[in-house]
Amino acid sequence: MGSTSGFGQSVRAPGEPWVWFTAVGLTVGLAMILALLALVLVEGLKAFWPRRVVEISLRPTGTETEPSRVLVGERIRVRPKATLQGSDRAANPAHREWQLFLGNKDVFGLSFRYVDVADIAAVRQPGGIWRIERTEYGPLLGWPVALLQPALDPLPASDPRFEATLNRLVEEARRRRAEIRKLEKHDIGRLNRQMEELHLRMRQASSRRLDEGAYERQRQAWANQIAELETAYNQLASRARELRVLQEQAALVCRLADGRETSVPIGRILAWYRPNELDFTGRLGVFLGRLREFLSEEPREANTEGGIFPAIFGTFVMTVLMSVAVMPFGVLAAVYLREYARQGWFTRAVRIAVNNLAGVPSIVFGVFGLGFFVYFLGGQIDRLFFADRLPTPTFGTGGLIWASLTLALLTVPVVVVATEEALAAVPRSVREGSLACGASRWQTIQRVVLPAAAPGILTGLILAMARGAGEVAPLMLVGVVKLAPELPINTTYPFIHLDQKFMHLGFHIYDLGFQSPDSDAAQPMVFATTLFLLALVITLNLAAIGIRNHLRRKYATGAF
Amino acid sequence: MTEPTVLETSPARTVRRYETSPRTLWWDRFMNRFITLGGIAVITAVLGIFVFILWQVLPLFRSARVERLNVRQAPVGLHRVLGLDEHGRVAFLLDARGRLHFVDLVTEQPAQTYALLTEGETSITSWRYHPGSQELIFGTADGQVGRVELRFLSSEGPANRPALPRWTVQSLPEVGRRGQPVLAVDYGDSGTDKLLAVLQQVEDRQELRGALLTQTRGLLGAGQVRVAATFDLSHQITGRVHRILVDRSAESLVAATESGVIYYFVREGSSLRLRQVFRPFEDRPQAEIVLIEYLLGDATLVLSNPEGWIRLFSLYRPEGSAERRFGWIRSMPPLERAPRFYAASQRNKAFVVGGADQVRLCYGTTEAVRWEGRLGEDLQLGAMNQKYDRLAFLSADGRLHLMRLEDPHPEASWRAFFGRIWYEGADRPRYEWQSTGGSDAFEPKLSMVPLIVGTLKGTFYALLFAVPVALLGAVYVSQFAPPGFRNVAKPVMEVMASLPSVVLGFLGALWLAPRIETRIPSLLLTFLLVPLAALTTGWIWSRLPVRWRTWLPFGWEFVALVPVLVLAAWAGWVFGPVLERWVFVVRDSATGLEVADFRLWWPWFTGADFQQRNSVVVGFMMGFAVIPIIFTLAEDAMSNVPGTLRSASLALGASRWQTALYVVIPTAAAGIFSALMVGLGRAVGETMIVVMATGNTPILSFNPFSGMRTLSANLAVELPEAPHHSTLYRALFLGALLLFVFTFLINTVAEVLRQRLRDRFKTV
Repeated sequence: MGSTSGFGQSVRAPGEPWVWFTAVGLTVGLAMILALLALVLVEGLKAFWPRRVVEISLRPTGTETEPSRVLVGERIRVRPKATLQGSDRAANPAHREWQLFLGNKDVFGLSFRYVDVADIAAVRQPGGIWRIERTEYGPLLGWPVALLQPALDPLPASDPRFEATLNRLVEEARRRRAEIRKLEKHDIGRLNRQMEELHLRMRQASSRRLDEGAYERQRQAWANQIAELETAYNQLASRARELRVLQEQAALVCRLADGRETSVPIGRILAWYRPNELDFTGRLGVFLGRLREFLSEEPREANTEGGIFPAIFGTFVMTVLMSVAVMPFGVLAAVYLREYARQGWFTRAVRIAVNNLAGVPSIVFGVFGLGFFVYFLGGQIDRLFFADRLPTPTFGTGGLIWASLTLALLTVPVVVVATEEALAAVPRSVREGSLACGASRWQTIQRVVLPAAAPGILTGLILAMARGAGEVAPLMLVGVVKLAPELPINTTYPFIHLDQKFMHLGFHIYDLGFQSPDSDAAQPMVFATTLFLLALVITLNLAAIGIRNHLRRKYATGAF
Repeated sequence: MTEPTVLETSPARTVRRYETSPRTLWWDRFMNRFITLGGIAVITAVLGIFVFILWQVLPLFRSARVERLNVRQAPVGLHRVLGLDEHGRVAFLLDARGRLHFVDLVTEQPAQTYALLTEGETSITSWRYHPGSQELIFGTADGQVGRVELRFLSSEGPANRPALPRWTVQSLPEVGRRGQPVLAVDYGDSGTDKLLAVLQQVEDRQELRGALLTQTRGLLGAGQVRVAATFDLSHQITGRVHRILVDRSAESLVAATESGVIYYFVREGSSLRLRQVFRPFEDRPQAEIVLIEYLLGDATLVLSNPEGWIRLFSLYRPEGSAERRFGWIRSMPPLERAPRFYAASQRNKAFVVGGADQVRLCYGTTEAVRWEGRLGEDLQLGAMNQKYDRLAFLSADGRLHLMRLEDPHPEASWRAFFGRIWYEGADRPRYEWQSTGGSDAFEPKLSMVPLIVGTLKGTFYALLFAVPVALLGAVYVSQFAPPGFRNVAKPVMEVMASLPSVVLGFLGALWLAPRIETRIPSLLLTFLLVPLAALTTGWIWSRLPVRWRTWLPFGWEFVALVPVLVLAAWAGWVFGPVLERWVFVVRDSATGLEVADFRLWWPWFTGADFQQRNSVVVGFMMGFAVIPIIFTLAEDAMSNVPGTLRSASLALGASRWQTALYVVIPTAAAGIFSALMVGLGRAVGETMIVVMATGNTPILSFNPFSGMRTLSANLAVELPEAPHHSTLYRALFLGALLLFVFTFLINTVAEVLRQRLRDRFKTV
């Protein structure tokens, strides 16, 4: 032990430096987790925070054939120059470059550009520049020039009515966009499904026709129905076409950094703001608006813009289905193991085996899910109930139900272990008290043991949900996709589409980070999605830890 | 019971009053059964995962099955060639008189016979059949050479429909001498180039002549075949040639002499050049060659001598040579006697070889005998259909035997998965994983070894980083930290354990990897400085006067360490480039300048390559997944060491470090070991981090600055594309099985250790 003043200074505890050495483990571990969380938090929030736009004048080089020596864009990051190697870098260690987001992908071709710091002559914040979010080609950075409306004179940007008119037009366009969406996705989709259904019935009937006359009449009736549907379809389609034409009529003309002018149809403008004139509240407003868009909208532009709502929803539905599947089975197995099975070496072995399944890699469960659920069970279901749709598989391919079941299997050990622990923590005296009062075994379990263990079981379920929400590897095999056209629960019969493929937050991160055509553009979205997923998983885990600690305290001070 | 009068007047009512209601009893019985059955069912189902995966893997290790389907009488004749159509419904025979017989093997249709030659004028003296293109090449006694293209049009329809064979004869340009018998002939056609080789007996000597043909392709289809060049190879060969082979791409000519010497000619432009002369059986008493045939892909020769020894020679580039030569790469177990017939599969590297009553189905790549049988007949000819599911044999008594062949996974064998195999074109035997290739003749390389090595490599680097951090942290928290601190550290570590691995993989690959790519020296320096700084600080601190030391209460050293470690990390980061300029200097071969760059120095110094997404990144990111597991379990093990032991040690005057090192750690050793095992299991199975943060190349190397492919990453990458029930699919299941068994065993060992420890503490 450390010396106290009574012993003087010569007494030293041996090995004190090594105590400090062991402290490295804790410090490094804590630093790692805190740094990671901070990184994700900062980078994730940065994705929504509006940046200032800078104007960079480049030094003339002479050799280069650059059309414009002025670049306007958002400074994304500064980094040591990657292309330099070796002694060059050693000779000039301050060699850095800026990554600029130039926007205007439709005009410039590239949205991002690296600029050597040494080439920069001057940097300033240009006034009056607009950042316009569009449905296509990403944002536009430029100065508004005029508003073109059909049958009206161009409205110059200097006109006092300019902004009000633009806002009005953008709002009208937004409503039209919603209508087009409803027409194309909902109404036309419904017609398509009805037609498909009829075609399928015709095919079925023709393959097993019994009565020639009845078949012919039936076929005629179906054909008439299809013709009616087609007329309705054509009406809707022409309405959608008209709306699309309207969307393209008015346009906003903008001047870009290099002096070129480009016009954007109003129908493609989602929102706009002046990044360099915004004060803190204004920026906060933009921040919150983007955050709302991120959480509630569908992705655009190969998932690099827009929101992640379908992924959140898919994750949610899958996790709920998983919980529904895992809860009864996990609790059943745990109750059996703890309350019914004879506690011998066999039960012990089974318990160890079940516990160890929690350590089996998740991908192995994915492999099992693909082989058993998708190909074996799904194939059987298809052969029995959906034979007329073959060879297009219905359940014989990855889908929501199989993903949920696979994850349920993956998390069964988690629930079993937690439930068993909770059951074991219920004091023997409580059980014996209940039995002594004349309750039957099941009554004791039902009314006394399970309620007492409920928080523990809940802890297990929450941990299972956290694991299920964060797991990606098995899902890659059994049913996630990068972009699902429909939500797994919607207004079309049978409302919950168990056979449908779905989007998932974790897979969204993988897909955005690694399969995206423009990985620079995808980076903010990946960090934002990562932040959301981490927040979700950590919240679930903290909840589980909280419940468990509360429980421990309860039993530690319990009166039994 | 308080009213005895009631008991007297109606005993029955009282008993009923205390009786349990039948519903409760029934419900209780039902639930008892339900829970027992359900519990057992759930546990069985969960453990059934293993059984299912095993069930998917087992067919890989099943050998081929062959059963007799049908026997038909063949037309009378001296048959030279036997072949089958794609589906194995129609057999054709070419006899010495130049007649082509088509025999329907399924129905009892009479055989159809067509004459290729004018009856009685001449006879067939040499023949070749290429089952891939279904073409017959024949040479006659009077020096003609012809090519027959066979087509079986309707053999796909219902079983009772007669098959309609179609055939066209094309006479090939005359390259030899008219009127002299053709001893051997072969023809290769790559579409644009065609090579024809003819061996003739001219009086008492042989002439081997060839012609390079070209065919112009016009608007109206294929144009005229024209002779581009002719050559005479007779003078380059000593001894009598008896077999010649031309490959399918018309690139080469192989001639075998009766004394067992093989001459290998390669086409260069429009001439043939002798590249290699070798004697495959020179070590055997009977060195003659009785069988020389190509395996699918025409890169491997299957050779046999009169003793029945079978050797495979394949083209490869020997080290230091730019030319491909034949080398002896594989052997098959010898047959009882010289083989009489040979038929190669058009789907894979399998072939049927045999003679007399012995028949054998071999797989060339793995040297495996897939099936061996004795049909009890004297077999003369054999054939295999293109779909690799029918075999046909002609016995000496003129009967045709049709056999069903069932061999869904010929490529699979113990050796293919775990052994070293000399693949076609390789310069030495290797362990290799490459599941798909460009052409049909590609050999799937399904060795698990690179994947296992990759798994071990990833695990090794992960543990290299995670084990010290986790164990040191566990020792500190359980032994030295203030008592309540444990309740803070453990939830934090649990949050760390819950980080989804896709997040770790993404951060490792896209954030960390590019940032540390240029800063490897800084990283090395930091790893060195951080523990050193801690030790030095500790040493200085322990030398300080007591009144200073009392400022920092026991257990809060880790807080005091934060500024020190930040400083050390900063110093490492800043002085890394200095170290690089000082140590990691390499001369750039292009410019001749001295370059200080670790990324160039590493390959120059070690010969191993440097990749941005490497094992160091993976090891670090896997640390996030592994550290909390090891930390929590090891901390538990050490905290559970009975307090009496610690108190006794401290009371005897041991310092806290001595107590930890000599009392607590040895007592909890089993628990610490079990924590390491569980951590190892987690690292072995980690998927997404590896998929994202490495290049996923299956390589056999422990180079820390290259990537790898682990078993789990391999599953994630390849299984979505693997066709259901294909060999690749099952091989991937085998990988999953290995992972399952390995992690399960490790966890079981860990669990058993932990329980032992718990029991021991109970008795202390």
